[in-house]
Amino acid sequence: MSLDDAIRFTEIVLAIAFIQQSLEHLSGAKELRVLFLPRLALSVLLLIGIQTLWVCIGLLLIALLILKRFQGPYNGGSDLMGVLVLFCLCLAHLVPSVRLQEYVFAYLALQLMLSYFRAGWVKIRNPDWRSGTALQDVFRFSVYPVSEALRSWADRPRLLWTVSWAVMLFELLFPLTLLSKPTLIAGLGVALVFHGANAVLFGFNRFLWIWPAGYPALLWLQHRILAI
Amino acid sequence: MLHALKLCLPALFPSWRFFDVIGPSPRLEYVLLGAADEIRDQWEEFRPRPALLPVGTMLLRLFWNPGWNESLFVATCVERLIQDPSEDRGREILNRLRAELERGSADLAVTPFLRFRLIFVSREGADLRTDIAFVSPVERVSGRAAA
Repeated sequence: MSLDDAIRFTEIVLAIAFIQQSLEHLSGAKELRVLFLPRLALSVLLLIGIQTLWVCIGLLLIALLILKRFQGPYNGGSDLMGVLVLFCLCLAHLVPSVRLQEYVFAYLALQLMLSYFRAGWVKIRNPDWRSGTALQDVFRFSVYPVSEALRSWADRPRLLWTVSWAVMLFELLFPLTLLSKPTLIAGLGVALVFHGANAVLFGFNRFLWIWPAGYPALLWLQHRILAI
Repeated sequence: MLHALKLCLPALFPSWRFFDVIGPSPRLEYVLLGAADEIRDQWEEFRPRPALLPVGTMLLRLFWNPGWNESLFVATCVERLIQDPSEDRGREILNRLRAELERGSADLAVTPFLRFRLIFVSREGADLRTDIAFVSPVERVSGRAAA
């Protein structure tokens, strides 16, 4: 994937994620329209590909206002990933050379890689994760399970031990997917299934839409590295 | 804007420590009151999760899930209010609770007042323990301050 293609695909996926988020917000309190109507309009322009530099700058300013309005992220990591991707897109449009654009997108790809690897690293260092207890706690008393029926999964320690190790190994081994194009595509496929499962079980639907916005940067970086 | 830029820094240099430790889990509960001086102890959970969610609904929520995302945000507000108390954070919780009650089935003419409390559920050995971290003063459901 060329750098130009990666930038354009990133814009498209990010725009779709922002449209989805904006529509959700617009279905709620009317006071939020002042933030999310402009965001929706700019996201549509980004999707179409009109004046993308100015659109990205506008979206970044709105993102800052949204962070201020909610005193931080509204939806945790998914909002932070959105700001990161948007910031990198702005920089990629602003920097004066292709080499600097490459640095910006390499940073985005690195952060995406770290988002999996570091999450696995902090888990595997925790004995509760290694024993499966942490995931049992998530189902037993955390706010995340979307139904009471899912809480009964806490009583299936073998299943949750297996899932805990599957998640940790996937996250820790994710950087190895850069070794070849087929492994990267397979890794990104597994990542999508992982985000889909989180969305179904815990309602984290926004992660499912925003994380793929960083995938083009990873696909480009791998192509770039293999071309050296 | 400087404050917003400060809030932006974790996005530019993220820590990516998802679910590293499963700490005490926040809950928001409320009680409706008929009078400002009434004392009741029948606390109800804000937006209790359904007993069972059909697979079709789970899949639909991949695309459309504003209510659940708001519930997660309220849980975040509860954590933030306890970690770093401020009037704005308390008002955010109260406003979302009021909006939910005004949409709900309770007869607010009969119970025009409310209190809310913030609790944390955690594991202690094999059991769960519940700690009350904050109980609000009496507030009007309609949005005006209680007398």
